[in-house]
Amino acid sequence: MNRSFLGKVFAPRKLTPQLANLAKISLFNQLSATELGIVDGLLHHRDYLADEVVFDEGEEGQAIYLIESGQIVLMHPGQSERIATLGPGSFFGDMALIDNAHRTAQARAMQGSRLAVFFREDFLGLMDTHARIASKIALQMAREMGRRLRQQQSAESPSWHQHQ
Amino acid sequence: MGQRQAGPLVWVGIVVTTCLLLAALQKLLWLTVPFLLALILYYMLQPAMQALIYRGMRRETAAGATMAGFIVLVLLAGVLILPEFGARLLDWQATLLRYLQGGVDLLDRSLRSLEASWRVFANAQLADTAAARLAQFTNSLTSYLEPLVVGAATWAPALLLTPFLAYFFLRDGRNFLSFLARAVPNAFFERTLDLMAQVDRTARAYFQGLLLLTVLDTITLGLGLWWLGFQGAWLLGLICAILAWLPYIGSVLGGLLVVLVAATDFPQVPQMAWWAVGLFVMARMLDDFVYMPLTIGKSLSMHPLLTVVMIFVGGAVAGVAGLMLVLPVLGVVMVIGQTLGYLLTDARLMARHRHARNLGRQAAEADLF
Repeated sequence: MNRSFLGKVFAPRKLTPQLANLAKISLFNQLSATELGIVDGLLHHRDYLADEVVFDEGEEGQAIYLIESGQIVLMHPGQSERIATLGPGSFFGDMALIDNAHRTAQARAMQGSRLAVFFREDFLGLMDTHARIASKIALQMAREMGRRLRQQQSAESPSWHQHQ
Repeated sequence: MGQRQAGPLVWVGIVVTTCLLLAALQKLLWLTVPFLLALILYYMLQPAMQALIYRGMRRETAAGATMAGFIVLVLLAGVLILPEFGARLLDWQATLLRYLQGGVDLLDRSLRSLEASWRVFANAQLADTAAARLAQFTNSLTSYLEPLVVGAATWAPALLLTPFLAYFFLRDGRNFLSFLARAVPNAFFERTLDLMAQVDRTARAYFQGLLLLTVLDTITLGLGLWWLGFQGAWLLGLICAILAWLPYIGSVLGGLLVVLVAATDFPQVPQMAWWAVGLFVMARMLDDFVYMPLTIGKSLSMHPLLTVVMIFVGGAVAGVAGLMLVLPVLGVVMVIGQTLGYLLTDARLMARHRHARNLGRQAAEADLF
């Protein structure tokens, strides 16, 4: 009786539609349902209208943004060329999770978008209280940064990519 | 946020708001004190709740289990201590009377010594007058005790709110912050998150600073009393340090306690009481001008001068309640004031907010024309 009660209390969480949606975000795809539940409790969900600015270039970064739905474009203000166009499952503004670096580009919603916001302070708290979850997220972030770096190097010098 | 400096207008607003809040909180002291105690309890129990959540427990269950565990511990401690307490109650009464008598004897000896040295005091019959006043005070003690007992009876139910409030802070604190954050426009959202985190850090730092201050006070007083040869020096130091949570009044009570113990335990060494008074005054000076600015003031990132001045302002505005509440209230108002000052003067954020409102209005009106 006691065992089943404890089993119930500490039972692994089921993957609800909300958590399943979170699991699609590359930053969280290594997390279990229970871990996703813990992270979900730390996220803030925000809706942005088409053409609304999410953050500005040069602004002090406080949070990372995860796209649940919609499309976000990253660009330098005043320049027509886009740095990147991101869709559901992607994330941006990740340098803010590492330090309070200034944003290197402007983020703007291309269409009505729903974003999950992960505040830096909550991530730092997670490192103290749930180190395993934080390390999984940090590893995913490092992988993404590595991928971006390779992409950039490859674009700048195609021969560099061949030597790797 | 750290490198931005608030202007003089913002600082005037911060100080005025703090004073107004203190005056208002003084009227709601029956609620303010349980609220403060609940905050302390919240910061004490939060790590235990976090550990349960990490083991896979839901927040609601973890908050309930943590609070239930705490209440069980308190009840167990009560069951273990109460019989001992009851058995010693008569001894304690006798001890208390002995120390009070020691204090009265010290006063009488000191006054008679003054009379012997100064004719003007002898003519005024200072010792006899003081003895008569003390006797009169003792006879009318009930008239002083009655309001105290009635006050305690009025406050006791309010104090029962403490675990109740702490439970809801643990269970719903995060949801409440998310609820508040939802009301903030997108343009100001990141800054607001930062503001909330700073308020949380400020409150946590204040209560941690208070505990550090208690440790420093205990060490200073305990060391001094031990050097003077007091029995139970460390316990006496700890009691005085806890009494110092009540600024000024607590210090007076602590000083009185030390003098009573000195007068009773060293009846043959009358100067011991004066040594104890000297030690206590030195400890209070260290506390008010060094320890407090270094612990609580530092934890609130305030200038030591501002800390000391605001303690006096708090006392002048709201009495004892003001002394108790001024630093945590100032810390929170300071963070909110500085952030609001920044947000409302940031032309770019205001422009983004106006842009988002226009987009919202256009979306709402899109199919009307």
